[in-house]
Amino acid sequence: MKDLKELKKIEKFADQCMKCGFCSFFCPVYQEEKVETAVARGKNYLIKLALKGEQEFTEEMADIIGKCLLCKRCAANCPSKTQIDRVVVGARAQMVKDKGLGFIKDFAFRKVMSNRKAFGRYVKLAKAFQWMLPKTEGNIRHLPDFLKALGQGRHIPNLAKTFLRDMVKPVYKPVNGEKPKMRVGFFMGCATDFVYPELGLKLIDFLTKRGIEVVVPESQNCCGAAIYFSGDFETGRMLAEENIKAFEGVDYVVTACGTCSSTLKDYQKYLPDNEDQQKRYEAFEKKIKDSTEFVIDVMKIPPEDFKLRKEFEGKTATWHDPCHLIRYQNIKEQPRAILKALKGLKYVEMPNADMCCGMGGSFSVYHYDLTKKIADKKMDGIKATGADIVVTACPGCMINLIDNALRNKMTQKVYHFLELVE
Amino acid sequence: MLKESLVSEFQKIVGKENVLTTPEALKAYSYDGTTSWIHEPDCVVFPKTTQEISEIMKIANAEKIPVTPRGGGTNVSGGSVPWLGGVVLCTTKMNTILKIDKENLTATVEPGVVLQDLTLKLAKEGLFFPPDPQSFLGATLGGIIAENAGGPACVKYGVTKQYILGLEVVFPDGRIANFGGRTLKNVVGYDLLHIFVSSEGTLGVITKAELKLNPIPPAKKTIMAVYAEIAMAGESVFRVLENGVIPGKIELLDNWVINRIEEMMPMGLPKDADAVLLFECDGIPEAVEKETEKIVEITKKYGATDVRVAKDVDEANKYWMARKAGFAAVFGKAPTVMAEDVTVPRGKIPEFIKRCRDLSKKYDVEMCILGHAGDGNLHPAILSDIKNKDLYERALKAMDGIIEGAVEFGGVLSGEHGIGLEKQKFFRRTMDPVAVDLMMKIKALLDPNNIMNPGKIWD
Repeated sequence: MKDLKELKKIEKFADQCMKCGFCSFFCPVYQEEKVETAVARGKNYLIKLALKGEQEFTEEMADIIGKCLLCKRCAANCPSKTQIDRVVVGARAQMVKDKGLGFIKDFAFRKVMSNRKAFGRYVKLAKAFQWMLPKTEGNIRHLPDFLKALGQGRHIPNLAKTFLRDMVKPVYKPVNGEKPKMRVGFFMGCATDFVYPELGLKLIDFLTKRGIEVVVPESQNCCGAAIYFSGDFETGRMLAEENIKAFEGVDYVVTACGTCSSTLKDYQKYLPDNEDQQKRYEAFEKKIKDSTEFVIDVMKIPPEDFKLRKEFEGKTATWHDPCHLIRYQNIKEQPRAILKALKGLKYVEMPNADMCCGMGGSFSVYHYDLTKKIADKKMDGIKATGADIVVTACPGCMINLIDNALRNKMTQKVYHFLELVE
Repeated sequence: MLKESLVSEFQKIVGKENVLTTPEALKAYSYDGTTSWIHEPDCVVFPKTTQEISEIMKIANAEKIPVTPRGGGTNVSGGSVPWLGGVVLCTTKMNTILKIDKENLTATVEPGVVLQDLTLKLAKEGLFFPPDPQSFLGATLGGIIAENAGGPACVKYGVTKQYILGLEVVFPDGRIANFGGRTLKNVVGYDLLHIFVSSEGTLGVITKAELKLNPIPPAKKTIMAVYAEIAMAGESVFRVLENGVIPGKIELLDNWVINRIEEMMPMGLPKDADAVLLFECDGIPEAVEKETEKIVEITKKYGATDVRVAKDVDEANKYWMARKAGFAAVFGKAPTVMAEDVTVPRGKIPEFIKRCRDLSKKYDVEMCILGHAGDGNLHPAILSDIKNKDLYERALKAMDGIIEGAVEFGGVLSGEHGIGLEKQKFFRRTMDPVAVDLMMKIKALLDPNNIMNPGKIWD
């Protein structure tokens, strides 16, 4: 009998599905493809067969299991509360365990390669960039994914001239010189580090101005989203251990990236292999706060105390819910409360605010055509609001929203909510 | 297995990407919303036009290959399971709403349009399509028509067949035919249109439909009546109606269902109640007010221990969420759930409920009751486990008893789900033999090679 350890862990979630098919309405991928293997019900059924030994992890299976944004919209609306995101990630983990990490990625990668003339250009570019990256290459594996996206005709923001890691100090004391109210660790994450370093500086500035001591441990690593969501739990655990160690002794860990905060919180869901790990990952989860929830729920800043930066005065804004905020962390009202209370800014809710933008981390690299179709629906929602700016709190979403707004020749600019406030 | 040459024929018609043959895809098209009916097709084809369907049917007919039409695959009768293999003809890519005609209150749709997509689009025009099966999020119009689906709104608005004005259908031999039209009244010749409504895909493929619409009622109100005795809830249903109030919906949840919902999403339902009835009145505001008062009065008079009128939309939504969750609550609680779809004349609801409870005791099986009490369509559900032979057999006996009971009380064995595979064994037992004979003859006339969804309705 084969060792189905990772699948066994998610068996109880998979068993919840009663095949009603409601997920089809909520799945952005199914909405485009209209085939049963694209939707949660189909994936869940095939994974259950794998559990029974009636379905091998073929290349086709890898493709099916790979083609999920993990946006969790199906799970949030499932009448029998099937946690299909955990089922899918568990299946990926089993595949990686059985066949090695390359399997899912290589297969999709080959498909991308064979379909795109631009491939040569994009590998060259990726390579050209990769040698420049800091020596900790093994620690930033999700960056190569990002680089692969180049050459697909995407509008990708330039890498920052200086990475955040090379700008920050290990400790920032409160600016007023008083005794710190609390000690907060700042978790950088790849996108903030390499693409949006100013976001990190902004957050540090925001916190220290309000009497908080911010520490930026040098030994912090990648959050692991792209890694453990691909099923590489072994590397995921290594990262979890490093990050937990790096942030020992702080009251909270704050990040400006919705994916990072969600990923750090969810170590306890996916990665533990024993009770000790379970306990430690759960303790770590309690420390993690996304910037949007930290300022409202922990710092308890009343929404009306936020001040709009001058350049945004008179603008109309709309909010895009990153999947990792609204469904993974249940953060929905906090950013809206701030945006609605900002004097000088007009807030308009977009029709499909909670719908995935189509990024899905490396999903958009392997299935860029699908990403574009899904994003087009998002763009329709944005257009319908007549807003000047789209605000969100996940650099991953920002990259995708910018790309698709430009592709659709839209005038809307995309900002992180931290960029709006003083 | 299908000949490879046929697969390439299909590919020529619909394009390579619209024919699936991988083992994984075939497995994903082997099931519907039922628990125990599973069979793989030999290939899955996604047509985009009526003409393509016609071409596919011609080939299938010449080669005598089974064809199972399928939309969202949300049905719970086994109806879209390709029981004898062959081709699954999936219409999910034919999903255009062709026209919404406000002047005539009609809509023209392709078969793969999902009901909720239609509902949202119609709502923008102030219109609605009344049939509302609980599978509305995934169910497609082709399937809704072929299964003659129902839902909570049937008590006032009737089932699907009352909202189909015209159909375009492809016959097994590839002929394309149009029945009915776009008018509300149409008495020209035999009513062939309605042979296809509830035909469960055994006579032809529905490729286009003309739907009758209603304007959205301007006001709504939700009332929850609580009962210490479920039979009294059953009585309240027909007492309300005989007193001249026809609410938009009347739904029944028994104690078991109430408690499972409370476990899943606590919302303050009365956990001690033997049953609750949920009413929804809709219409012009003044009428809705009057009807609500009347319902409160009548339900109190006929034994409700507590009657709550939802004070706002949020509270009303909460109750209807509970009703929807009831479905999940039942199915999530046992490895094998046998959900019935019997319908009895409304006056017999109390007696029928009593029969169900007796059967539950007699065969020592856990049973719960929920359903569209307003139209007598109840879904008693037996919790079982196909792997536990003794329990499963007792459950089967109890289910036989439920169906026999319903028929004895003047009811029918399916109200809205159809026969498919699930109810086959009861079909001939409960149907007039002359009707069965006629149906067989119609089937033989339209589908002489028996390729349309074979293995269903009659065995």
